[in-house]
Amino acid sequence: MTNLRDVYLVEGKRTPQVKAGLDLKDVDAPYLGIYLLRHLLDNTSIPNDAVDEVIIGNTGTPAKYPNIGRVIALEAGLDKKTSGYTVHRNCASGMEAMSQAYLKIAAGRGEIMVAGGVESMSQMPLIYGQDMTDLFAALMKAKSSKDKLAAIAKFRPQFLTPVIAIVQGLTDPFCKMNMGNTAELLARDFNVSREMQDELANQSHQRAIAAMKEGRFAEEIVPILAGKNLDKLIKHDIGPRENSTIEGLAKMKPYFDRKSGTVTIGNSCPITDGGSCWLMASEEAVKKYNLKPMARMVDYHFHGLEPERMGAGPAGAMDGLFQRTGLGLEDMDLVEVNEAFAAQIWTVKKAFTDKKTADFFDLSRVWGELDDSKLNVNGSGIALGHPVGSTGSRIVVTLAHELKRRKAKYGIASLCVGGGQGGAVIIENLMR
Amino acid sequence: MDYKKISFEVKNDVVYIGFGFNDDKSMTVLDEQTLSDFKDALEKVAAQQKDYQGLILFSHKSGCFLAGADINLISSMTSEDDGRKGAAAGQDIYNILEDLKIPTVACVHGVCLGGGTEMILACNTVIASSDSKTIMGLPEVKLGLIPGFGGTYRMPRKVGLPNALDLILSGKTLNGKRAKKYGLVAEVYAKETLITMAVNHLGKREKAKSFKESFGEMAQDNFVARKIIFQKARESVLKLTKGFYQAPLKILDVMEKGQSKSRSSYLSTEAAAFGELCVSEQSKNLQHIFFMMEEVKKYKGPKGNNPVIDIKRGACLGAGTMGGGIAWLMANHSMRPIMKDLNFDALELGLKQSAENFKAMLKRKKIDKDDFNKKQRSITAQLDYRGFDRTDLVIEAVVENMDIKKSVFKELEKEVGAECILTSNTSSLSVAQMASVLETPERFAGLHFFNPVNKMPLVEIITHDNIDPSTVEALYNWVLKVKKTPVVVKDGPGFLVNRILMPYLNEAAFLLTEGVSIKDIDDACLNFGMPMGPCRLMDEVGIDVAVKVAKIMHEGLGARAKSNDLSEKLETAGLLGKKNSKGFYLYDEKGKHSGVNPEMDSFLPANKIKMDEVDIQLRVFLPMINESAMILDEGIVSKALDVDLGLIFGIGFPPFRGGLLKYADSEGLDNIVHKMKKFADDVDSDRYQLAPLLSKLVDEKRKFYEL
Repeated sequence: MTNLRDVYLVEGKRTPQVKAGLDLKDVDAPYLGIYLLRHLLDNTSIPNDAVDEVIIGNTGTPAKYPNIGRVIALEAGLDKKTSGYTVHRNCASGMEAMSQAYLKIAAGRGEIMVAGGVESMSQMPLIYGQDMTDLFAALMKAKSSKDKLAAIAKFRPQFLTPVIAIVQGLTDPFCKMNMGNTAELLARDFNVSREMQDELANQSHQRAIAAMKEGRFAEEIVPILAGKNLDKLIKHDIGPRENSTIEGLAKMKPYFDRKSGTVTIGNSCPITDGGSCWLMASEEAVKKYNLKPMARMVDYHFHGLEPERMGAGPAGAMDGLFQRTGLGLEDMDLVEVNEAFAAQIWTVKKAFTDKKTADFFDLSRVWGELDDSKLNVNGSGIALGHPVGSTGSRIVVTLAHELKRRKAKYGIASLCVGGGQGGAVIIENLMR
Repeated sequence: MDYKKISFEVKNDVVYIGFGFNDDKSMTVLDEQTLSDFKDALEKVAAQQKDYQGLILFSHKSGCFLAGADINLISSMTSEDDGRKGAAAGQDIYNILEDLKIPTVACVHGVCLGGGTEMILACNTVIASSDSKTIMGLPEVKLGLIPGFGGTYRMPRKVGLPNALDLILSGKTLNGKRAKKYGLVAEVYAKETLITMAVNHLGKREKAKSFKESFGEMAQDNFVARKIIFQKARESVLKLTKGFYQAPLKILDVMEKGQSKSRSSYLSTEAAAFGELCVSEQSKNLQHIFFMMEEVKKYKGPKGNNPVIDIKRGACLGAGTMGGGIAWLMANHSMRPIMKDLNFDALELGLKQSAENFKAMLKRKKIDKDDFNKKQRSITAQLDYRGFDRTDLVIEAVVENMDIKKSVFKELEKEVGAECILTSNTSSLSVAQMASVLETPERFAGLHFFNPVNKMPLVEIITHDNIDPSTVEALYNWVLKVKKTPVVVKDGPGFLVNRILMPYLNEAAFLLTEGVSIKDIDDACLNFGMPMGPCRLMDEVGIDVAVKVAKIMHEGLGARAKSNDLSEKLETAGLLGKKNSKGFYLYDEKGKHSGVNPEMDSFLPANKIKMDEVDIQLRVFLPMINESAMILDEGIVSKALDVDLGLIFGIGFPPFRGGLLKYADSEGLDNIVHKMKKFADDVDSDRYQLAPLLSKLVDEKRKFYEL
């Protein structure tokens, strides 16, 4: 595969990100993407039947919408022949969608693609456990009243204890650790203190609030319709706290390891609702429709590591991507590494400066300091939240807009992935 | 035997009779030929019943089973006896059908109304398609008629008395699924399998009634219960129609008195009632409206040189009450509209209006929650022009200020594609003036919606000298597509409806200052059949708005449109109408009026005069007729029909009167001119200045509808 074509990021936008259970709780997952796609297309002269494919990342897969990608394509008004599908790579689903679109365009299998992610964590369901499900199945099978009675007799009240999908989803099936506990493990392994974590969390809030106040998110957010009567426009992220202090964060109890842990709700990302979306195109399409792309997607990389230390995933992913592209950290004007946990960010920083840690994670070299002036300059997951299916593409949206504002050149966006992976994307700003 | 308009076939000993045969119209009606063919066929079947296993009725058309009796046939009837005989002849045919000893099954796919529904009632079994085109019902009451082919006799026997009354008195229609719930239809199938499945219903007994159904029947099946049911129905009819409409009351009479009668004697009273109603003035007027509506279903104006665009996506500039209403209309018709305004607060006002309209539909089960979500979310509310170049129609609904509108259109013209049609929803400003700032005025028009958009069916399409007829045609087609009634009007003060409304409001104010009471004026108009008296209407419109519009009218039309200073005084005193809960009447927080505002006493003469109701009516309606004549003379609209449709759908002029000019024609134009002259002498020579066209028509002994 030597003759890959250039791939352009025409325009990317996102919803406001809102803590689960609040203003976006009644917005079904597809509606976090439909209006974004319509909005993106409205800025172009691309006809409704010229989009090849819509690829959407999502992890919660609402029972009502098994294939969100196709629903978004149709509801946004794209032609019926537009194919659409949904991808799942846990926290990197949105990035996986972008990567697939990238490959298809680069390989000449598509000219115009839509890629993004949506997640309604508010709407993740409570499910009946296996016992209750078996009982229902037995009841359905039962033909005579006697069989039915026998089936019902097996019922025990504890069968009604629901399985909370979101809790189950955030527990690794391989190492059986909750995501929070993987962060605790990193904190212990690499000496990340409670103070360091709280300090980083506090900075996340301050940076996000500053960005909001200076209107730096206004360009990337498209207001979304919400409210009981669908007559309110939500314009800002709901999650970043202006009154956040290190002292306040220090008062919080550890959540995952209640006795001796350092990971709290305060220095972890909150569960959140949100969506993000990119319009991507080949050079031919850019010329044909006279598009003004924001950026060029240089390349992507995914990388695996031990599930119990999944938080260090970005280190390996960025390492792999630098090696593939021949670019290095020094070429990057901005770095977005999604904050799932403060402990995990510190670990990635350490892996980039400390030879022993770099070796532990099998990196090719020590890449250098992830400087505060470049890293997550507008805050990240801890303040803005982490709508799992969307974050992978959301951080690229935020990165591209900040590169544009700074008239800078290269940026890298990376995130850790539950299950022990990391993903990364490098883009080149064309709005310089 | 040869039939001209039905098909007749025997397969496996089953007779198949198909309607809509040899007929290229989209709707099959029961015309004379079809009825006589059907009668011959039934007689043939009846004579050889032993040879057949059953009879199946179906239609060759995909959108229509039988759309009912031919209305041309009904409207051509000149005497009660004619009508009675016509009904009796149809009843005889359906009696043959009902009396067949072999099983009969009707397969309903598509429109099945009036005489069509009466026919299927005479079959043993009805099965229907699940298609959305399939509707059944007895809408005769809407034409001021009673179903005359046995519908009122058979419907209660099929679906029970309360359901039957509901269907016959409201004229509402049922789809296949609902018809099954009512018990009219035995089963619903996919349209492709309908006729195949019909065979399975031959000789099949209808399912035994459930306990609930039997209990319900028992409860209805006694003298007292029936008496109460009829009494309730009568009360609700009187409440809904305010007693203006004869047909529903006549229907109730026939059905109540006929309860214990035999079929033949029942049917003869039904036929007699049909005869009586079909030649009544009221029914003729309602039939007139039916024909008018048929008339406007297709654009008949001049053709332009450019292709007529198909309007798919729309945008609305300005998100107020009207903007939100227009966005709702577009969203409801899958147009994914864009709504633009200057700030988020304004956008939310528009979104609120649209959401309210959808919620009202949700409440009436016209849409479900998913539809609400989908449709409301299909509106893109934004502050910039993003996407405007992808739209085919932009409707401007910003503040009523000529300078602002002009600058908005100058800006807008740069943001849209070359084909996009630009329109203004102005209610009072000159469309020609707005057009003058555009580089391409040929694709610009006024598009005047009435408030509230979701309830008012009329849309005035306002033209000007530089418009391309293709623009008018595209707009006309679009207005029909969104289920509204278009009327094409030339630019001029108040366009059509508001201009004719002007004397309604002006004269009321003069009557008030002469000492006639608010109640007497409004009551006189309500008793004429108007949905609202002029004082209530002014409160609805807003007294400040009325003052503004009155000025524009006076400037544009001269002395005959002058108003007195009452409304201006009220506006200064802060009495603005419903919007601030006090005007001629007082209103509570929910906008319900709670009687005349006592504050009004200080603005009105203490000495009240008592004026005859008829005189009050003449005072307000004569100048309206006169103004209509001016409008026709100036060519603002081309036909009397446009005036009548405009007023019926724009302000709710009573339909049973057939329209303002239809009413004028029936009262006699010489009478009207005579009274106008008298008012010119006695009341005011300017306001009752006779329109030249009126005296011309009288001289030539012609009517408005003969223009």
